[in-house]
Order: sequence, then C-alpha cells, then structure tokens
Amino acid sequence: MVVGELAHERDVVIIGAGPGGYHAAIRAAQLGLTVTLVEKEELGGVCLNKGCIPSKVFAHAAQSMTSVQHMNDMGIEWAHVAFHPGKLQQYKTKVMSQLRQGVEALCKANKIEVMKGTAFFLAENRIGVEKGDAFDVYRFRYAMIATGASLVSPASIHVDHKRVLNAYSIYGLEELPEHLVVYGSDYIALEVATSFRAFGVNVSLILEADDFAFDSSINRELQRLLKKMKVKVYKNSRLIKAANDGEQVTVSLSVKEQETVTIEGSHLFVSCRLQANIEELGIERLDLERTEEGFIRVDAQSRTTLPHIFAVGDVTGGPALAVKAIKQGKVAAETMAGKQSEADTTFLPTIVHSIPPIASVGLTEEEAKDQYKDVRIGQFPLTGNGYASIIGQKDGFIKVISDADSEMVLGVHMMGAGTIELISSGVIGLEMVGREEDWKFPLYPHPSINEGLLEAVEALGAEAIHLLPLKQKGAVSS
Amino acid sequence: MLEVKLHDIGEGMTEAVVIHYFVKKGDDVKADQPLVEVQTDKMVAEIPSPAAGTVLDIFVPEGQTIAVGTTLLSLQTEAVGHEQAKEQAAVTVEAEVEIESEPVIGEPARTNESKTKPQRILASPYTRKIAREHGIDLSLIQGTGPAGRITDEDVYRYLQGQQAPTQQEQATQLVAPAAEREPASVTVTKEETKEEMIIPFRGRRKQIAKKMTQSLFTIPHCTHFEEIDVTELIALREELKEHNVNISATAFFIKALSLALKQFPIFNAKLDEENECIRLEKEHHFGIAVDTEEGLIVPVIKNIEKKSLRQIHEEAKALTKKAMENQLSLAEMTGGTFTISNVGPLGGSIGATPIINYPEVALVAFHKTKKRPVVLENDEIAVRSMMNLSMSFDHRVADGATAVAFTNYFAKRIENPKLMLMELI
Repeated sequence: MVVGELAHERDVVIIGAGPGGYHAAIRAAQLGLTVTLVEKEELGGVCLNKGCIPSKVFAHAAQSMTSVQHMNDMGIEWAHVAFHPGKLQQYKTKVMSQLRQGVEALCKANKIEVMKGTAFFLAENRIGVEKGDAFDVYRFRYAMIATGASLVSPASIHVDHKRVLNAYSIYGLEELPEHLVVYGSDYIALEVATSFRAFGVNVSLILEADDFAFDSSINRELQRLLKKMKVKVYKNSRLIKAANDGEQVTVSLSVKEQETVTIEGSHLFVSCRLQANIEELGIERLDLERTEEGFIRVDAQSRTTLPHIFAVGDVTGGPALAVKAIKQGKVAAETMAGKQSEADTTFLPTIVHSIPPIASVGLTEEEAKDQYKDVRIGQFPLTGNGYASIIGQKDGFIKVISDADSEMVLGVHMMGAGTIELISSGVIGLEMVGREEDWKFPLYPHPSINEGLLEAVEALGAEAIHLLPLKQKGAVSS
Repeated sequence: MLEVKLHDIGEGMTEAVVIHYFVKKGDDVKADQPLVEVQTDKMVAEIPSPAAGTVLDIFVPEGQTIAVGTTLLSLQTEAVGHEQAKEQAAVTVEAEVEIESEPVIGEPARTNESKTKPQRILASPYTRKIAREHGIDLSLIQGTGPAGRITDEDVYRYLQGQQAPTQQEQATQLVAPAAEREPASVTVTKEETKEEMIIPFRGRRKQIAKKMTQSLFTIPHCTHFEEIDVTELIALREELKEHNVNISATAFFIKALSLALKQFPIFNAKLDEENECIRLEKEHHFGIAVDTEEGLIVPVIKNIEKKSLRQIHEEAKALTKKAMENQLSLAEMTGGTFTISNVGPLGGSIGATPIINYPEVALVAFHKTKKRPVVLENDEIAVRSMMNLSMSFDHRVADGATAVAFTNYFAKRIENPKLMLMELI
C-alpha cells in the first residue's frame, strides 16, 4: 500500500442517491457487491425531494378537490370546503420524509455505505469524497455517475422562485396564485396547469408548438377538457419578455410570430431544459464521450466510453424520467455483477398526472401510419364504461392502434380515471408482442376501467359492445 | 399453406443436421419428391414432400442442427395456385431485405432520442434475455414463431447455426487412429468475427462423446497387450491369392476371435446388474470400428459363428464402404456383442487402451504389423512379421487371467492358421 494515502476498497462507488443511484446500489448489493453510495444532498434525489413526489402530492390533492362536487352528489356533504396550501406543504413534507426514511432503511438493510459528501474522480479507479474537513479516497472496480441534471431557465426569464417559478419551486408555494401563467407543453407544465386550476387558480397555458406532443386523439381531448376547465391556451406562442415587479408578472408573447399578446398574471411557471450535473465531478480527466447536448453518452448497459464506469438517469440525457433512471441503474448494477442485462426504452410509458390523467405507450397513430401500411384504430370513450359512471369520472378514452396486416398491437393511448394504473397492461402487451386476440382473450375485471381497454381492442374489429356500430366503423382508418 | 417439419426418425433421435435442400424457394414440387436431406447421429434421411405444391419459404439454412418438430420449409399446396404462391414467396424475400437494413437494437443512440425509430424486434423480453446471454443480435434473426415472432428456439437455432459450418466451408483433416477413440476427423471452421477456431460439438461427435463417457464411467476398464507372430497368416494369405482368393487379415482375426469366444463366452456377454446376472450371448455379432470423415462409426456383422471367412470378408468390406458414405441403416449399426478395431492400416500405433463399446464386455484393437528380429524356439534369430494387440475388458465381468487365456487361444490360431481348420464348421 502506498504510504500517505489510505484508500477504501469498494466494488462499486455510486455518485448520486436519486432513483437511479439507489436502485443501482440495492441491486448491486443484492448481487453480492460492496457498495458505497455518495450523496451531497438528500437520499432520493430530485424525484423524491423536488420532482415526482412533491408534484404528485399536489396532483393528488387537486384530484381530490375535483371530487368534492361528486361527493355532494352522492350525499356526502360539508358545510364549508376550504383549501389550505400551507397544510398541503406539511403533508408533502411528511410524505417525503417517510419515503426518504424508507430508502435509508433499505440501504442499511442491504449493507450499503451511504456517504454524505461531494464526490469527484481522482483517477480512473479512484474517487475522493469530501465532507466538511474530512476527505476519503475510495478505490473502486466500478463507478456509477448518477448525478442527475439541473433546470436551466430560458435566457429571457429570471426565475426568482417567488413570482417566477420552475418545476421545483412551484410545489413549494404556501399560497395559491391568483392567475398562474404556465409556459411550456411538457408533462410538468400540464400537471401544474390542471392541478392549480383544480384549486381554483386562473390558469393560462402557453405552448410554443402548435399542439401538445401526444397522440392526436389525446391532443384533441386535452384541448377540449382544458377549455371545459376554463384554462386559456395560447398555441404557436413564444415568450418574448416576462416583467416581474414583485406584485405582478407581465408576460409578452409573440403569437405565430405575427401579433404580440400581453398576459397579466400573478405568477409565472416556466418549463426548463435540463443540463447534466457534471461540473466538479472531475470527469474531464476521464475523457468520457458526451452527447451534443453535453450529457454523458451510454450504451444499452449504461456503460460510458470507459467500460467500468457507468452513468444512469438524467445525466445521460433522453427523457428525464425516473422510470428510465431506475431501469438503467438496475441494468448497470447487473452488468457489473456479470449478468447480461439491457435497458430498452422502446416501450417507455409516458404518464401525466393531469386532470384527467394521461398514459401512453408505443406508437402514436401518426407514427404507426408512418411505419405500417395499414393501421387499425380502436377507440373507446369512458362514457361507455360502467365503472367510470359509478365514480363520476367519464372524461377520456382508451385508444389502441394495431397493424391491420399482422394484427400486432402497436400503441396504447389513454386519458381518464385509472389509466395510469392500467397502462402497465399496455406495456406488457407490447413487450410480449401481443396481437389483437392476445389482448381480447384474457378476462378483464368487472366493473372496472380495465374493461375500457378490452373494448378499445374489440373496437379494432368493430366488436366493442358498448359502442355504437357507426362509431366503430368510423374509427377504422388506413 | 403446409409446413414441412422434421418428424421423428426413430431410435430416440431428437435432432438432425440439415445437409442439403433439393429444392429452393419458388420451386414446384410433386408429392413424395425429396425436399431435403437430413443427417442424424447415425444416418442420412430424405424428407419427401407431403403434397404437391410450391415451396413458399425455407426456414432452416443448410448446416444447422434442428430438433424434431422444427419447421423446415413451407409449401403452398396446389389448390391455391402457383402464381400466387410465387408472388408470396417473392414478397417474403423483399421483407427480409427490409429487415436487414433496419438499425441494430441496443445502440446507444436509442437512449438519446433519435428521430428514426428502429423497426420493432418481435421477441418477448424472456427471449431477448436468452439472446443477450449468448451475445446474439436479434435483428439478425428471422423469427419462425407466430407472425414472425422470434422464439427461444429461433435463438438457439441461430446460435448453433452461427457455430456450424456450411458444407463448402468444411475443411477436414485426419488426425488420430480410431482405436484411441480420439476425434477421427476434425472439422475446422474459421469464424470471421472471432480469433479462435471452432469445432462444432454435435451430431456424431456428440454421440461419440456420450457413448464414451457412459462406457468409461460405468465399466472398470482393464487393458492388456499381446504380441502375435502373423508371418504364417501372411504366407497363407499369399497362398490364397495365388488361387485368386483374397481374404483380408481382419476377416481371419474376426473368425479366430469368434473361435476363441466359443471357449471363453464370458467376453461375448452383457452384465445385467439389475437382475444380478451376466448374460452370455449365443450369437457373435461383431462391431467393426470404422474411421470416417464425420468420426467413428461401428457397423455390425451378424452371426460370425455361422459365417465363412469369405462371407465375413465380403460383409466387412461392404459395411465399411457404406459407413464411409454415411449409408448405413439403423439395423446395420445396432446389436453388436463384441467389437474389434483394426488400426494397423492407419500405421504408427503400437498399443492403445480402447474404450469398450458399452454394454459389451470386451474390445480388441489390432495394431501395425512390423517385421522384427525374433528369437525362435531353437535360439535362432529370425525376421518375423509381428503385430501387437490391445484388449480392453470389463473387469467386473472377467479377470486378467481369463483375458490372457483368451488372447493366447486367439494368438495360437493366428500364428498357426491351419489350426483353425479343425474348428471351422
């Protein structure tokens, strides 16, 4: 051993304890590797502390608000209904802290060494971890970069986190905005818009594109429902200027590059692009290949250009979704343990906890028509589903797309109550290369939203029971 | 559409190698016309067309090993009409080309969003895992499952095909005498992608390995060596040749062994452990080890005890020829009670420890005959033709002394061939 530097020997050192990092740590430990997990902030990363979990607490609360009227209809009545955002914040903190404790306990039970500190590469096989005045050196067989990404606001907008907010600060609000201007079209923007609208906030939604990025049927239904909710939508609009005087945010838009529109709002939410967290990691020493956008380039095993160094999650670019990070983390750990593993995001489900929720997997109708000669469409509105009537959430539909030639199902797109839970059926069906009969043959529980999926598949052949013949014939396209 | 499958060809054979197609995609075929030639561990068979029609598609390339039940090719039967079938065949060809040009799965580009989505790989996650574990790129496999799905079978088949050489690529080389039961021939294929040389371990090679392992792990082998003076036998053969009678030395050995077995039937027996008995076989069915390009094979001459030297000679010759041409029938390869291996003609060998052809009791190998100086009874030194033999026997069934007595009996008859006359029936 070299005098002067005592390095701890580890099989795996993981930088970043977000979903990608901690899933990888546990999987690696399960496979018999010694693991050190380094985190400079909180276990759970952005997902647990700033992103998925906080936003879904709000989405859930908002969904609950919308059911108040339905409860009244069923005879459950209150004298007075009020919403206290401060109390929701307490609830959010409690949920987060419970989940964090869960992760901590799991790491401990799996004998994972969790280090609070800042990690950086000293060499291709050594990582230094700095914590206050303490400095430790780890010599590793494998390392994983799971440091995530940071939000970068558009240059024209200054995010002060009080009146002008991003995806993290919006869910820290203790008071409801009066008029929230939402600038963006991604899933976060849609969740923000529909959640706050459900709390009674006036919402304006600004899209740069001419439409949302879902399957065309979802785009249409979404637009109808936003209108019904009284969310004002501006399409083809680019934000030129956002003036924030501390009381009011004045947003200037260029609509279709022709006219200028000004919106007076109390608050502005901005969707941001992401930038890989690789500063101060010392990876310039390693000469890892990067993508054009500056993310770390990885293969299907989540390997970087150095085969013993892996990277997972947002730091690798692509869709910034925890589901991807989790899969990559497990695959990387399995690869380290000598298993043949692979991450393939072809059937990565897209979900939006909007009101109503959206869930989608596989090809959209447009993509399917692009790639296949004859495409069949089966679409079933939830108004025809018994359980949707019972729970009073009849908005939305389930749409299934298949290749007319082989009857292979190509994509599933849903909007409405229960669809986020239901989309796993779609994912499995697609992964198993299911054809129409493979989807029609199984029994679907009754009464439930599940039956909507069955009827959508049946509608491919104009055989849906709760759908008028006319509607089914109209749905077949080529 | 009619699927032609590899059916069960009997004798517990579960797989076969596709040797040759007599037809190609789009060909019109009559009922019972041979479509494809397959080879099992033991024989070659032709699979006839079950009906008249047109070959739609061929699924398994030549050189691949397939399991019983695998679909070899599909036929469009006559009812549909030839033109349509031909069209369909053409369409399939086009489709294949398209698949090949698609991007390869698992490229890093996939994790970073790319605009052109790759064509879907039609395989379930479980099948994909099998492929990953064998390092196979699924985009190179054409699925034979429902609607072109890639099945587990397809992956395994591809895996074998990848390592299997096509007939043209085969380079054969003779390296070892058969009596040592080393690979009698080695098929070497150079794979472009890999540095190492790969020899397929299947078909006959695998069957040989299985039998050898079974024998050596079951039978406590004991081998003893003997030296035999064959000068007189050579002289007798020369004499016979003058009368235009050509009888091989092997035929004499076989006959002499048969005579010895009458005295020592314990070596023409089978041990029945279950019933705690040794069954002495009345009939002398001799297996004759033959070295072929594909490896060792042992055709059987039946009822040596009833056959003349000439009959034995002719039969041995015919069976060896058939063996070399892979034309042996199942009946000609089964039922042996004793085995010989004459490695003399291969040259070089002076002794071996042959592995017994399970469940037989003994095996004798004959080595090269050499002229050597020998001290005769009268203390003179003479040049004699000497041959070594190696005899392996099952030590559970017999002991060394019996084996020595057996080879002594045999040696005496070879050294004095006229003695055999006394015993010939």
